[in-house]
Amino acid sequence: MIRLLFLIHYIQGTSKKVITREDWEKKLNDVKIRKEDMNKLVMNFLVTEGYVDAAEKFRMESGTEPDIDLATITDRMAVKKAVQSGNVEDAIEKVNDLNPEILDTNPQLFFHLQQQRLIELIRNGKVEEALEFAQEELAPRGEENQGFLEELERTVALLAFEDVKNSPVGDLLDISQRLKTASEVNAAILTSQNHEKDPKLPSLLRMLIWAQNQLDEKAAYPRITDLFTATLEDPAV
Amino acid sequence: MANDSDQTHQQQHDLIGSYFLDLWRLKSQTASASHSKDVNMTNPDNEHEQLEQDDDDDEPVPTELDTLNSSGWFSIVLPDKLSVKYPSVNLHGHDVGVVQANCPAPVKRLFYYFEMYVKNAGAKGNVAIGFTNEGFNLRRQPGKNGQVVGTVEKDVKGRLYPTVAVHSQNEEVSVNFGKDPFLFDIKAYEAAQRAKQDTSIERISIPQTASYGIVRSYLQHYGYEETLNVFDEANQTSVPPVTGFHDNGFNEHAMYALNHRKILRKLIMNGQIDDALRNLHEWYPETVQDDTSAICLMLHCQKFIELVRVGRLEEAVDYGRNQFEKFYNLKQYEDLVKDCATLLAYGEPSKSSVGYLLEDSQREKVADAVNAMILSTNPDLKDQGSCLHSYLEKLLRQLTACFLQKRLLNGNQGEAFHLQRVLLAKNS
Repeated sequence: MIRLLFLIHYIQGTSKKVITREDWEKKLNDVKIRKEDMNKLVMNFLVTEGYVDAAEKFRMESGTEPDIDLATITDRMAVKKAVQSGNVEDAIEKVNDLNPEILDTNPQLFFHLQQQRLIELIRNGKVEEALEFAQEELAPRGEENQGFLEELERTVALLAFEDVKNSPVGDLLDISQRLKTASEVNAAILTSQNHEKDPKLPSLLRMLIWAQNQLDEKAAYPRITDLFTATLEDPAV
Repeated sequence: MANDSDQTHQQQHDLIGSYFLDLWRLKSQTASASHSKDVNMTNPDNEHEQLEQDDDDDEPVPTELDTLNSSGWFSIVLPDKLSVKYPSVNLHGHDVGVVQANCPAPVKRLFYYFEMYVKNAGAKGNVAIGFTNEGFNLRRQPGKNGQVVGTVEKDVKGRLYPTVAVHSQNEEVSVNFGKDPFLFDIKAYEAAQRAKQDTSIERISIPQTASYGIVRSYLQHYGYEETLNVFDEANQTSVPPVTGFHDNGFNEHAMYALNHRKILRKLIMNGQIDDALRNLHEWYPETVQDDTSAICLMLHCQKFIELVRVGRLEEAVDYGRNQFEKFYNLKQYEDLVKDCATLLAYGEPSKSSVGYLLEDSQREKVADAVNAMILSTNPDLKDQGSCLHSYLEKLLRQLTACFLQKRLLNGNQGEAFHLQRVLLAKNS
C-alpha cells in the first residue's frame, strides 16, 4: 500500500513595488478597526498586567467586560508584589492559598521561588540561616536536576564574595532578579486560571514590525518605525 | 482673518462628521445584511457573524475530481468522483490519464494539502500527484512522481489545481481532499509552521514601555480620564515604577479638554443626550453651531433613539417631527434618518433590522464623534487626522494593511490579519 502526499506552501517572490504615501493612506483608510476590538485589546492589557483598579474603571468608562474575574487579579498582584518586595515566604503561602496545584505542578517555579528566598536571606546578611536553607531545601532539588544544581551553586557563591555587587554573580542581587521571579509566578497563576500569560498588545506590536519587514522585501511604502508616535514615514525611493 | 479660521474649523468639523457618519452607515449596512441572512436561516450562527468581514473562509476548496475536463480515454473517474482508474486495455506508452480537481487549491491561507491513495499500482506503478495550472495538457504526467512526502514552496501566478495521473494498465488511485482523515498529521504541520512564524515574531524586540505608552495615549485620546488617572497612579507606585513613556509629549492631545470629554462621554453613554447638548453649547459652541451638521444629526438621532428605548413613543414622534425635517431634505443624511424613524415601525425594535441603533455601540459612536469634535477645537492641533484615530488604531491599521499588501503583491496568496481572530485566540 502506497500513499502519496502533496503539499503546497505559499511563499513570497522577489519583485519590488513602490507605493506612494497617497496610495498607502487610501489603503489605510479602507481598513476598519472596530472600536469595540480596541477596547478589548486595552482591557486585555490592563487585566493581564494586573492593573485591577484601572480595569475596573475602564469597565465602567468604556463598557468593556474583562475576560477574567477582576477579584483574581487582586490576589495575583498581591503575590507578585510580595516577591517584588522580597517577601518570598509570604508569596509562596499566598500562591498555595490561591491554588496549591500551581507549585505542585511547576517544580521549576518552586525552585526559583526558593532560590529567591535564599537570595533574600543572603541580602539580609543571614549567613547561617541561608546555608541551612540551601542545604536542607535546595540541595535535594539540585540532585534531581542539573540545571537547578548549577543555579544553586551560583546563588551560594554570593556568600564567597566580599564585594558581592561587583562579583560575577552580583546580578542575582539586582532588582531585575526579583522582577524575573515575580513575572514567572504571575505567568504561572494566569496559566492556572486558564488565561494567557502575556497581554496581546506587545505581540501585536511585534507582529507589526515583522509584517513591515516582510513587506519591505516586496515593496517600498510608508512605514511606522516609531511605535510611540505611530508616524508614517515616507518610503525611501 | 477670523473668517478664515472659522472656515478651517468648519472643514475640520465636516471631515470628522462625515467620518463618523460613514462608520454609522457601514454598521447600518452590515446590520441589515446580517438581519436578512438571519431571517432566511433557521439556525443563525452567531460565532460566524462575529467575523462578518472575514471572507477568507468562504474561498472554495476542491471537493472532488473534475469529470468533464479529464483526458477521456486514458482514465476513468469512478462514480465516487474521488477515484481514478487506468483502462484495462493496453494503450500506448505516451498515453497518460490526468485528472484535475473540480476547483483550484485555495490560496488565502498558509498552505494547502491533499493526499492520494494508490489502490492498485498497476503494471508499471507510474501514478503521479501534483499541482497543474488551468491550461495544463492533460495527457502529460504532472509535476511530481513517486512516493513523496514533501512540500513545494510556491510563488507562481495563477491558480493551481490538485492533480493526479495514471499511466499504466490497472492503475487505480483515489484522492482525499479532506473528507476523510489525512494520513499526514496536517495539524502538527500547521502548528510547526505557525510556531516557526511565531518564533521569528517573538524574536523582534520592541521598546519595553511601548505598550504602556500606547494604552495611555488611547485613554487620553478617547477621554477615559478615570482609567487614565488610576493607570498613572499604579505605574508610579509599582515596584519599580513604570516610567519613560509619558510626559514625553508624544501624544498631541495629551490632556486637552480631558475632563469635559469624559463628562460628555459619560452622559452620552447613559443616554442623557439633552445634558450633553447643553454642555456642548456651553463649552464648545462652535461644534454645535450649525444645527444641520453631522454631529447635530447624530445627537438628535440619539435623543430620538433614547426616547424609543424607554418606550416614550409619542414623545419620540414629536421629537422626530421637530428635528428630522431639516435633515430629511439633506440627501447625505436621508438613509440614516430613515433607519431611526424605522424604529417606530416595530413592536420589538431591538429585534428588527435597525435594532443595532439600540446597542451600546451606537451610543459609543456618538460619544466618539463628540470626542473627536472637541479634540479638533484644540488651538495647538497640527494634524487633523489625529482627532479621528488613536495611535493604537493607526498601528493596527498599518498592521492590517501590510498583511493585505503582502498578499496582493503575492498573487493573492497568503493569510490576512484579523484582529478579531487574535482577540478570540487563547494563549497566543
